[in-house]
Amino acid sequence: MDIGEKDKSELENRNENSINYETPVLPSDWQFGGANLTSSGTSVVPCSNPLAIGSSCASASMADSFDSNLWEHPSNSQNLGFCGINVQNGAISSNAMDTGKGTLTSLRGSIDRTFDMGWNAASSALKGRFFLPNTTGILPQSLSQFPVDSTFIEGAVRFSSFNEGSFSDMVSPFGMPESTALYSRGMGLMPGPEDMFAVNGRKSVSGVESQKSKLNVTEATRDACLQVENRAKESPLENERKSESLVRAKQEAKHGIGGSGNESDEAVFSGHDVGQEEPSTFNGTGGEPSAKGLSLKKRKRGLQDAEVDQAKGGRPPTEAAGDGAENQQKGDQKQTTFINMTAGKQGSPASHPPKEEYIHVRARRGQATNSHSLAERVRREKISERMKFLQDLVPGCSKVTGKAVMLDEIINYVQSLQRQVEFLSMKLAMVNPRLDFNIEGLLAKDLVQSRTCPSSTLGFSPDLSVNYPSLRPSQPGLVQAALPVMGNNDDVIHRSLTSHLTSMIGGLKEPNQLSNAWEDELHNVAQMNYEIGAPSNSLNHTLPLFRRLKYRHTLSPPYIYLAQGSLTVLSVKDQVKTYSVTMWRCGTPFERGNVLVS
Amino acid sequence: MDLQNLNPSSLKSRFTARFLRALTEINAPKTISSSSPREIFQRYRRIKVAADKSMAYSVRSRRIWSRATLWRLRTRSRSRRLVSFGRRASVKTRTTASHGKENKEHHGAVLGVQAEELRELVPGGEAMDLCNLLDETAHYIKCLTTQVQVMRTIANLYSIE
Repeated sequence: MDIGEKDKSELENRNENSINYETPVLPSDWQFGGANLTSSGTSVVPCSNPLAIGSSCASASMADSFDSNLWEHPSNSQNLGFCGINVQNGAISSNAMDTGKGTLTSLRGSIDRTFDMGWNAASSALKGRFFLPNTTGILPQSLSQFPVDSTFIEGAVRFSSFNEGSFSDMVSPFGMPESTALYSRGMGLMPGPEDMFAVNGRKSVSGVESQKSKLNVTEATRDACLQVENRAKESPLENERKSESLVRAKQEAKHGIGGSGNESDEAVFSGHDVGQEEPSTFNGTGGEPSAKGLSLKKRKRGLQDAEVDQAKGGRPPTEAAGDGAENQQKGDQKQTTFINMTAGKQGSPASHPPKEEYIHVRARRGQATNSHSLAERVRREKISERMKFLQDLVPGCSKVTGKAVMLDEIINYVQSLQRQVEFLSMKLAMVNPRLDFNIEGLLAKDLVQSRTCPSSTLGFSPDLSVNYPSLRPSQPGLVQAALPVMGNNDDVIHRSLTSHLTSMIGGLKEPNQLSNAWEDELHNVAQMNYEIGAPSNSLNHTLPLFRRLKYRHTLSPPYIYLAQGSLTVLSVKDQVKTYSVTMWRCGTPFERGNVLVS
Repeated sequence: MDLQNLNPSSLKSRFTARFLRALTEINAPKTISSSSPREIFQRYRRIKVAADKSMAYSVRSRRIWSRATLWRLRTRSRSRRLVSFGRRASVKTRTTASHGKENKEHHGAVLGVQAEELRELVPGGEAMDLCNLLDETAHYIKCLTTQVQVMRTIANLYSIE
């Protein structure tokens, strides 16, 4: 079957999708179920079929997905009369929905489905299963609908491509606050059914498109499911059992949520998806297997979809006519399918331009599906993503974990950069400007050279900023004070000796004094190295550094003017900090070494 | 990467051009003899303002922090006295507010304190939620590093002479 093959390929594409909550559907099972059920349209067959299908993993998943889908519409029993088209649509929609899911979730879903089936032995569940055989049976019969649905599936696939993508892509369209997400959540589902109602099977593609534009998801369809769930809860048509399961699921999810720390899991959240989220279990126990957690969420989603369909069924009562009801049912199922699809499809390489207006979030397994918590989770993930980006920007933050420490580092870095700007502007004010030479040319050359220099972590010791106006008399003092300061404070790791050196260089009018101070400085450095017993490499590095500078300054004092160094923290081991000292001249490094400071 | 500066539309080159222009304007009326601390301090302030302004102009209005910086500079230039008075008051309120926020660390977001500090650091950060604040911070850090690089090389060039 064409669609089956396509679904298979799509399914494989989305294997690594983390946010896959739908069980994948293999068309083989589909056909298998259809073949079995074509002969019988009664309830007897459904009972056996899901089980038979469930024997194999994929088929089980499919059965479960079907089961859940149809089980979600338990109150749609009144629509059984139109089961011919409705079921088919449901099956198609569920099939399309499932195409986006990974096998892993399918496996889990299969187990969940079986569990759910066992747990919910209500007639509604049976009704749902009734749908399954009917659906599969009818499916092969009405091939006319396939093209439409395939296009619908394609559209959904393309649509779901929004889900993937970096946060940077999402940032620009989502410079909006959470309110828009909430608004979209509220809006996304409301016009959805109406659109689906207006759209018949033939126009399903356009309907999908319009719905897509409204329900575009960048991350997941959590909000959609959440909204569905909320509305379903309020629906008067709620089945008692459904509400029970839903409430219980929510309670358990909340337990799970409460168990896991919110902020501490931030780094975990972004990294892990379904597999590692907190172990809120179906039965409320702590160590539930993943299957059950997934089943919890899936059942919830199934309930949500069912309730949504119920609600939607109740809304347009005037369309009680056969066609109207059919369309409605179609629309419901398609919409639910569509919502589910958006969650699952993240790996499709479609190049549909994202019309992202809403943020749909799908509740992860074992997570609370409260709208607020889901929105918060989305927000937290965004923030953690940006924190990671900042971690790359701020040097020396690769080892830092935790948002608070990371933010502290960022704040320190920004402060140091701002102070650096101030210091440099002060230095520029001090320096006697002579603009008759070609600054721009030299600047271009130096900028090119300086970019190759490894001056990554440069900051200022706050003590120095005070001393700028009076550079000359206090320079040796500054130099002497710098090193102890650097050794003591961890914050000073990011401070560099640049200020010292440049201050020495910039304002000094007596080369001898400067060179003496410089020599003393290097003496201190070398002594520290000796005392610490640094590894041989650093010693080797620093001694030549010292020697060479000494040599230079005796020969040509002006060179010292140009000498500028920067310290970069190389490593911090056992309170012994290794700094790399780079001596620059004219913007090019001519000396490099390591200094150990304890 | 090495020839990035030669790209005429890169942030670095834009900032460099503007800043050099501002520097020449600032240094033009200066005579060699005037090196009193006060004049130096005035020049320092002007240069700092020029640096911030040129960086903000290089970014245009694409970023919230650049817009905030430009707006701040414009209002400051218009009403210096009022702003100086208001700045003192705002600084006082800020310090008290920051102290108050330390107490509510465990309230809601754990990052409230640091977020507030970051908001103070990044211009225009007061009105942003944490998400956008982090974005702005990233871009602000990038621009600051560019600024520092350019200014340092200019200072080196000056000190050569």
